[in-house]
Amino acid sequence: MAENRKGTDEPMDARRFAALADAYGSALHRWPQAEQAAATLFAESDEGRAILRRAGRLDAILDRHHVEAPSRTLHSEIVANAATQLRQGRHRRFWWLGFGLAGVGLAGAVAGLALVTVVTPDSASEHYVMDANATSFGDAGPEADTEDL
Amino acid sequence: MGADPDEELVRRIGAGDAAAVQAMVARKLPRVLSLATRMLGDAAEAEDVAQETFVRIWRHASGWRQGRARFDTWIHRVALNLCYDRLRRRREWTTDELPEVADEAPLPDAVGGDDGRRVQQALQRIAPRQREAIVLVYYQEMSNIEAAGAMQVSVDALESLLARGRRALQAMLAGDNGDG
Repeated sequence: MAENRKGTDEPMDARRFAALADAYGSALHRWPQAEQAAATLFAESDEGRAILRRAGRLDAILDRHHVEAPSRTLHSEIVANAATQLRQGRHRRFWWLGFGLAGVGLAGAVAGLALVTVVTPDSASEHYVMDANATSFGDAGPEADTEDL
Repeated sequence: MGADPDEELVRRIGAGDAAAVQAMVARKLPRVLSLATRMLGDAAEAEDVAQETFVRIWRHASGWRQGRARFDTWIHRVALNLCYDRLRRRREWTTDELPEVADEAPLPDAVGGDDGRRVQQALQRIAPRQREAIVLVYYQEMSNIEAAGAMQVSVDALESLLARGRRALQAMLAGDNGDG
């Protein structure tokens, strides 16, 4: 995935600088890494400073939103739950391993049976008894004749 | 992509290391809780999402292998999916699709009292995908590549969501269209 449209070797223009500020805000550390060097140079210009100042106004408002740190209760509940889940996970893996081994054994038995069937000469043809009505030209039974009548 | 800073911790959790479990909760719970709180605007629901996210972490720890995404990105994706499940259950919309049109009317100064609450209200009024982009990049401080990966969009699409979301927030919170 391309990180951005421009690399560090290309100078930043005002249009791209403004587009980046619109998307990522005024803090250059949030900007695409490959464009930070060029953006830092452009930020020194009057135009760059004005663009960052404008983006910074919204950033200052967004920064007022804080999320409280997780409570000890939540932390403890999640840790306590881990032991149960990890134990169940080990049991599940054990059973899947058992099923896997059983599957491999079954597949081996089926393969062995198939091999025996293929390798063993077909002796049934030696005991083939032709139907009494059959000829080398096909069935010469009474039904064959009556169909033509 | 470099080495995953969480990989060793995840491996130890998979091996049943209790200290690693404690370390993982200390490292990731604040991030998951912040993400869910800002996505849902409800502290109690956010705690539920955090609990469910960690259940999935414990379940998958032993089988975790770093693929294209880092563990932290995967956690964010899990938590976001749980948030979207809850947003859908609220029936805030009439179709299956999440709304893309935000209510950008300025928020009255008096609503909710403090500035932080106004920001929370404004975040809840922008389109969820725009909110998601802003929360990941601005508040969670994910790089654009990580955020785009977590959202399963291109970097260009991420930038578009960010810019539209910030413009909507600007209109609601600062009472202007961001051009001044």
